[in-house]
Amino acid sequence: MYNRKIRGPLIEGNKSLGQITQEIASPMEVKQGLWWYIAFFISSLAAVFGCYAIYITVYKGIGTWGVNNSVAWGWEIVNFVWWIGIGHAGTAFSIFLLILRQKWRTSINRAAEAMTVFAVMCAALFPALHMGRVWDAFYIFPYPNTRGPLWVNFNSPLFWDFSAITAYLLISASFWYLGMLPDLGTIRDKTASKIKKAVYGLFSMGWTGSSRQWIRFESLSFILGGIAAVLVVSVHSIVSTDFAVGIEPGWHTTIFPPFFVVGAIFSGFAMVMTLMVLIRKIYKLTDYVTDNHMDAIARILVFISLIMGTAYVTELFISWYSGNQYDMFTMFRNRVTGDYTIQFWGMIVCNALIPQLFWFRKIRRNWIGLLSISLIINIGMWLERYNIVITSLSKDYLPSNWVSYSPTIIDIGVFVGTIGLFGTGVLLFMRYIPMMAISELKSVANIGTKKED
Amino acid sequence: MNRTYKIGIFDDEGKFISAIRTLKEQKFEIFDVFTPYPVHEVFHLLKRKSRLPTAAYFFGLFGIVATLGFLYFTSVVNWPLIYGGKPFNSFPSFIVVTIVVTILTVTLASLALFSARSKLFPGRDNTIFDLRATDNKFVIVVDTNPTDMAAAMRVGDIMNEYGASEVIDKEFENVQA
Repeated sequence: MYNRKIRGPLIEGNKSLGQITQEIASPMEVKQGLWWYIAFFISSLAAVFGCYAIYITVYKGIGTWGVNNSVAWGWEIVNFVWWIGIGHAGTAFSIFLLILRQKWRTSINRAAEAMTVFAVMCAALFPALHMGRVWDAFYIFPYPNTRGPLWVNFNSPLFWDFSAITAYLLISASFWYLGMLPDLGTIRDKTASKIKKAVYGLFSMGWTGSSRQWIRFESLSFILGGIAAVLVVSVHSIVSTDFAVGIEPGWHTTIFPPFFVVGAIFSGFAMVMTLMVLIRKIYKLTDYVTDNHMDAIARILVFISLIMGTAYVTELFISWYSGNQYDMFTMFRNRVTGDYTIQFWGMIVCNALIPQLFWFRKIRRNWIGLLSISLIINIGMWLERYNIVITSLSKDYLPSNWVSYSPTIIDIGVFVGTIGLFGTGVLLFMRYIPMMAISELKSVANIGTKKED
Repeated sequence: MNRTYKIGIFDDEGKFISAIRTLKEQKFEIFDVFTPYPVHEVFHLLKRKSRLPTAAYFFGLFGIVATLGFLYFTSVVNWPLIYGGKPFNSFPSFIVVTIVVTILTVTLASLALFSARSKLFPGRDNTIFDLRATDNKFVIVVDTNPTDMAAAMRVGDIMNEYGASEVIDKEFENVQA
């Protein structure tokens, strides 16, 4: 096989099928270490802080945020785009690689999809809160109502965004769950505890692994993979139209849809890497997520980083080349120089320069290097969204509208809360759901090993 | 009524497939086989096919027509409003919602169809012939005819001949699969 010579075995250590089940399911059988309880405590504490901030937001209104008449979109939209971007990689990862039949996805896709679901949940919170009167959020559903019926504006990117995110959440959750069915069946058949048997029996929905179930399972995976691939590209393009359709300088550019999609995959892959480095280290799953897996993700990241760098330069070049003075002002006087220099250059350093270290094999194979660079990328991607949202709004066409923006403790609280929610979700995932797709791992167990010949 | 099934349990995928091939050649009716992961040769041997992709195509077609129809109805017929001087039926800006809703329709409808055809839903209690089939064993299940014991014996012999680690007779009441 072609892949074998380059990448070596997908799973190291000549595992038998039973061994794979045993090793992946064992974190669910044994008691978690002390670190788990500490991490869970910290995450829940952050989530509680978030709940408090949300309570204040709902009770008093979004006046408690740092937003004002000029900068009407503050941290919340920055965070929303950031989370949605992270949420992209899970699906991008598992779906693009599924369609391209890249077998190395099997060790990582479950965790990546889990991350997607939690990240999209965090993301969806922000637009809902941003409506101000969150109890009226259902107005955005196009349902026959007593107000006319007055329908929502189907021409508005904000409505497109709503439909895209709702669809994305439902579809990524179903795709994740579908992939989980066989493994839930495995746990049901393996566990000795009666309660677990009942619970996993309920959730595995009667999975038996018969040939009839398997063929439908496979064809449904490909159907969902094929159409969700379109969705992955379209969701973040739609998020970018929230900006690109507006006439603010710095937003009104046609580069936005591809720029956003690539950026989303960038931050998401970085988050996948953060999680996988930790999971393989903590649960000693290095045989399943090998150095080669991490190497492959790092190579993808360095490539995307180059695209991001090109996009940043293109944006600057086009604003100069177009001769539009407002655009020039935003780009050169309000980003490259001016009040937001730190955010702009932070973004360049974190997204375009530091990931170039992945050209070195030593760094691609060093877990501290991988972990720190993946975290830096996510910080950089947050700064990028900050740049886009805040700089364009704070100084637009009318100097009398110019204000500076800074977040309040409530803004920070909501953000910290979503990080806590994400952390809590991931920790529960590690404990109660097989972290890797056991059945898929079994199907690739022999690839690249001597057993195959 | 209780029925007896002959269950052959294999450790090795290759031996398992040759056993199926021989059983098929000798015209034994295989009830079903159970594997820990999808084995493609099994699909060929047992002539398993899925028409889900065709169904998904029609779900998609329905999704497109229904969504565009709905958008046309709300924006042109039911409550026309001018947004930014654009025509009521501003088709290009309907495309985005149409794509997204179509994808959602295909996903949910295919899932529902999958769940109905494969009989997988919460609370469903499909018969598990051998608990190890979801772990590390490949399982062939043959429905034996109580009046023809010789055939049942022959099935067991074939399974043993091809290296089954165990051959069991089990009785089941009301098999659900």
